[in-house]
Amino acid sequence: MQKGTVDMKRKQLEKILLTALSILVFILFMIPIYWLVTTSLKYGRDAFTLPPQWFFFDATLKNFRVELENTKTLMFIKNSLIITVGATSLSLLLGVPAGYAIARAKSKLLNMSSFFFLILLMVPPVAMLIPFYLIMRDIGLIGSYWAVIILDTVFDASFVVWMMRSYFKDVPKEMEEAALVDGASHFTAFLQVALPLSIPGIVSSALYCIIYTWNDFLFALMLTSPKTKTIPLGILASFSAVDVSWGRMAALSVFAIIPAVIISLFLNRYFVQGLTMGATKG
Amino acid sequence: MNNRLVTVYRRFLAGDGAYFWMLFPLLIFVAVIAVYPLLFSFGISFYKYRLTDPNQVRTFIGLANYLRSANDPIVIGSIKTTLIFVGGTVTLEIILGLAIALLLAAETRMAHLIRSFLLMPMALPPLVVGLVWKALYNVDFGVIPYYVKLLGVNPGRGPLVESGIAMPAVILVDVWQWTPLIMFIFLAGLKSLPSEPYEAAIVDGASRLQSFIYITLPLLKPTFLVALLLRTMQSFKVFDIIYATTAGGPGTETTVLNFQIYKVGMTFFDMGYAAALANILLFIVGILSVIYVMVLERQQL
Repeated sequence: MQKGTVDMKRKQLEKILLTALSILVFILFMIPIYWLVTTSLKYGRDAFTLPPQWFFFDATLKNFRVELENTKTLMFIKNSLIITVGATSLSLLLGVPAGYAIARAKSKLLNMSSFFFLILLMVPPVAMLIPFYLIMRDIGLIGSYWAVIILDTVFDASFVVWMMRSYFKDVPKEMEEAALVDGASHFTAFLQVALPLSIPGIVSSALYCIIYTWNDFLFALMLTSPKTKTIPLGILASFSAVDVSWGRMAALSVFAIIPAVIISLFLNRYFVQGLTMGATKG
Repeated sequence: MNNRLVTVYRRFLAGDGAYFWMLFPLLIFVAVIAVYPLLFSFGISFYKYRLTDPNQVRTFIGLANYLRSANDPIVIGSIKTTLIFVGGTVTLEIILGLAIALLLAAETRMAHLIRSFLLMPMALPPLVVGLVWKALYNVDFGVIPYYVKLLGVNPGRGPLVESGIAMPAVILVDVWQWTPLIMFIFLAGLKSLPSEPYEAAIVDGASRLQSFIYITLPLLKPTFLVALLLRTMQSFKVFDIIYATTAGGPGTETTVLNFQIYKVGMTFFDMGYAAALANILLFIVGILSVIYVMVLERQQL
């Protein structure tokens, strides 16, 4: 009897400890993001007062209003959107059928080609950037949206192939086979049978492409012109400006993290699936 | 001849004609946009090719760029720096990632909520992450030196500027951003563990620590390997965080090979040499990715 209560007390204590530890982990990982968001809501004079004002400060949306009235900021946002939508659509268009083909093909060569895309995914961007920059320079595409879109698509599409191959492998092929017996072509079976069953996988792939392209800095740094600069480059420019305004920089950074926040909080199921399936499934 | 080609074509496709054509557009795209530049890069690594030259002549110099790299103290140093960075980040991320995965593995509402928040760091633009941490580390108005001072430690000129501290400071940024990815990989691994060995262990009177050490860890070995290789390869690619925080400094203390290639190619415009260095990096990452592929393939069996 007594042993039972001691055990229960120990269990309770353990539960409280683990809960406290979980909350500590949560706080430690959220501090930089919390700092960024609160800085974007502060007046310039409050942004860097010490001791730091974590909770009680004059909140204002002034920084966001100033940024949204700035034509340059709007241009950065527009460019980021164009490049992200472009690379994501192109990657899905090329990658989804390819992933399906690899998952369903019987020939060893086609099956093995998925590893080629996996290895491509691991290529350090700098190693690709140097020759790509020279080639784009020679054909005069530097500064166009296309230069960034196609280079991002190499990496995005490689991920999509890998991800969709794993996904289609888990989709039962009996229904497609039935359609084939009924005289449908392989393309029809893909478009009308397999594709509708794989929407969650496509969403996961799309989210990865959106995040990867939206966050890209290096390719945009080397391949854009002042007219096609994306949000990260805008943030960097305002960071190195002489009259740097921390509040406005933070506001611009908040625009840059919107996709990450939306995806983590509302579409996390798909995002986790993409990350773990892409990483761990053979 | 023509007939033989047709036979080869048929055998090659093994009845996969339609599938081949679904793959074909991407293959062409990748051949033009990725494979061709990589071959091009391989080619110019044997040339002296500087964009700062008024005529931009390419002179064939054989292996000179590669030989030069072997005697270049900055390159040798950057390879060492890379190994320190990769070793430091990956080790810490795996230990912390596993610990946090075990902490948050329960299917409670709180664990679920915290897990979705933990997705955020790795989805953020690495450049923004770097700049935020740069502000947090700033010695005049940053939060971190302020609290360090309260603890009675002199922050000097700030973590990103002080020699010997800059590297750990940059590693911490990477650990903050990528530990959650390792956590999610381990969570997936933990979920797929069979329950029978644990039941048997309880029957045998094993403690929870014992069953963790003798059952969980061995069963997680494949997950370990995947996490280790994946993060190692990603860690070799680090660029944005270094660019945003230290720009390779102080001195060359945080100049990883990836960043050195960027400097040689995109700021000194010494393209032949940069291409040679890039090929060395590709070779290292290439070996790792082949091992990774082999590990994944074995797991499938």
